[in-house]
Amino acid sequence: MQVPGVWTQAWARGLSRGLDVPVANAPAPVEPAEIETRISEEAALLASAEDDLRIEPLVARGDSVAQGAPLFRFRRHPEVAITAPMAGMVAHLDLDLGHRLRRIALFHDDGAGRYRHDPGAAAQEPAALRRLLQDSGLWQAFRSRPFGRFPLPAEVPAALCVMVLDTRPGAADPRLAIAGGERAFEIGVRAISQLTEGPVLICQEAGAEVIARNILPRRVKILTVPRIHPQGLAGVQVHRHFPARPGAPVWDIGAEDVLAIGELLETGYLRQTRLVSVSGDALREGRLIRTQPWADLRGLCRGLLRPGPSAILSGSLLEGQEARWLRPGDRQVTARVRRERKEGAHWFRSALSRASRPLPLIPTAAADQALGGGVAAMPLLRALSSGDAETAIRLGVLSLLPEDLALADYVTCAQPALSALLAGLLERIEQEEVA
Amino acid sequence: MSRGIWDRETVALVLLGAIFPIAVTWLSVAGAEGLWRLVFFLVVAGIWHLVWMLARAQPPSFAGVLTALALALLAPQELGLPALVLSTSFGVVMAELAFGGWGRNVLNPAVVTLAFMGFGYPAAPWPELAVQIGWAALPAALIGMVFGVMAPGILLGAALAFGVAWLAGVDFTASYAAIAVVLVVLVAEPVASAATAPGRWLNGLLYGGLVTLFVVAWEGAAPVQLAVSAALFTSLAAPLFDEIAIGLWVLKRKKRHG
Repeated sequence: MQVPGVWTQAWARGLSRGLDVPVANAPAPVEPAEIETRISEEAALLASAEDDLRIEPLVARGDSVAQGAPLFRFRRHPEVAITAPMAGMVAHLDLDLGHRLRRIALFHDDGAGRYRHDPGAAAQEPAALRRLLQDSGLWQAFRSRPFGRFPLPAEVPAALCVMVLDTRPGAADPRLAIAGGERAFEIGVRAISQLTEGPVLICQEAGAEVIARNILPRRVKILTVPRIHPQGLAGVQVHRHFPARPGAPVWDIGAEDVLAIGELLETGYLRQTRLVSVSGDALREGRLIRTQPWADLRGLCRGLLRPGPSAILSGSLLEGQEARWLRPGDRQVTARVRRERKEGAHWFRSALSRASRPLPLIPTAAADQALGGGVAAMPLLRALSSGDAETAIRLGVLSLLPEDLALADYVTCAQPALSALLAGLLERIEQEEVA
Repeated sequence: MSRGIWDRETVALVLLGAIFPIAVTWLSVAGAEGLWRLVFFLVVAGIWHLVWMLARAQPPSFAGVLTALALALLAPQELGLPALVLSTSFGVVMAELAFGGWGRNVLNPAVVTLAFMGFGYPAAPWPELAVQIGWAALPAALIGMVFGVMAPGILLGAALAFGVAWLAGVDFTASYAAIAVVLVVLVAEPVASAATAPGRWLNGLLYGGLVTLFVVAWEGAAPVQLAVSAALFTSLAAPLFDEIAIGLWVLKRKKRHG
């Protein structure tokens, strides 16, 4: 049995720090040409009341929409639109009070065609690029730290971080996703480097460089990152190389989204698919699939699931959440065997297990490695667990997002989950910032 | 499969597994009398864990076994029954359970108990640990380090301090066993020691330094007594070391990132 969290593993990898999390049915690497493309018949975006997504719809139920055509704009930021992930018909558009989005769903219909955005001078002019990204929905591919929201329309990042590797258990290699599109990727990198005056960090594995260094501005730096979780999370790299602060946000973006920006600038069309990895112990085998954003997860797992109860998560085993539709930003689907909960634990047992929260955290090598080694792990986890915002900020928590602590949750079995505590803490800090 | 294994009880069990070589060697030396001592401390610590479970819904922990084992190994002999019960209760309750159980405590309950016995009953003779128990500490430390429950910094830091002192001519032959056992069982315990990498090295160095100082300058002290005293002072200083390590780290980052 593989025991994660043993010092010898860290030593065997030299200075690289992290943990191997075992995952069942991780997809085997394949040639880019062999990857199956599967567009699901339905695609949908759900929003909860907490998301408070207030929108101005641009389509109505029953309308036929082209792939890439704008579906709605945000009421608070009318510059930013969300576009259709596939050609089809609007099947549902459910709004709550105050124009809050609850659900938008599309039926697939290739006849509706593709929508062309006009790139204009976007490849050269930062203002035009912003407008193009905001109109095409690719603005949402960026995530701004601290706090992990989508960047505000006028926000200028202090640095950009492009992740060309993903170390989540079972994740697809982003280099596979951009294979064959190197030219568009380069155009994308050049374009987004206009958005900031600061450095652009391209994080990749050791090996051939994903983009020729000599043709790029000096601000673009290529960082070699060891292939072990959590080193492939943007949070760990941002924390190490360019800590985010309020007033100096750092944006991160995945490699395939940069490729999509490049393709948009080249052709005016929005990229139709993204590479998604399907893995988990409820499957017969794992697989890499190209599919559209908001895809139907059951459609993705069709033909792969084993009989028996299962739960399908959007995201990896560590931070994924049970969902019906691929969440924006996720590139991974995990199908997990659903284990029957034991009925009615004894009242005394449950009293014992519920009385002393948060559970104490014991310092171990595993806990240190779960944060990638760049942070003083135990002091940070203890600060989170006791709700000590000041110490947590001092230790660099503003560069992190809940997903960056998913491995620590997995390893330490912390209750309540450290990632949930971090989410609450970030929300509190954000409110104090605003006030 | 969606959760790891390193919760509190796993760590306590792995720690127990790590100090298993020490326990076995000691039992083979101490025989039935040692076993009785172990059972006695297990019962006293267990009763207090039970009381706190019933009164405060505080789940009992295998760490209680660690405490009992450390006490059976190191507690002064020929202490009367009331004295043993009183000091064990003080250590287990005031140093561990009152803080919310193992994982929330600041000091190791066994260290506190032993210090209480040392201060309260100074005439009681400290046990003499046989040489082979000292050697059993080596595999114990190795197991603890490999499984990640004992920090290499603490053990290697202490080893470094002893090495330097030995080269300077300090003689550890009489006290080796006690020093090694206390280092592995009490000082390297993860909860009451420093939790940052530089802090752990300082932690180990301080233990080594204090032991050396006591060996050289404390006349008439038994080996176990001086090792336990060094362990007590070291764990009192552990939060300071963490604070120093964090301060240095923040300073370094300020310089690099502004």
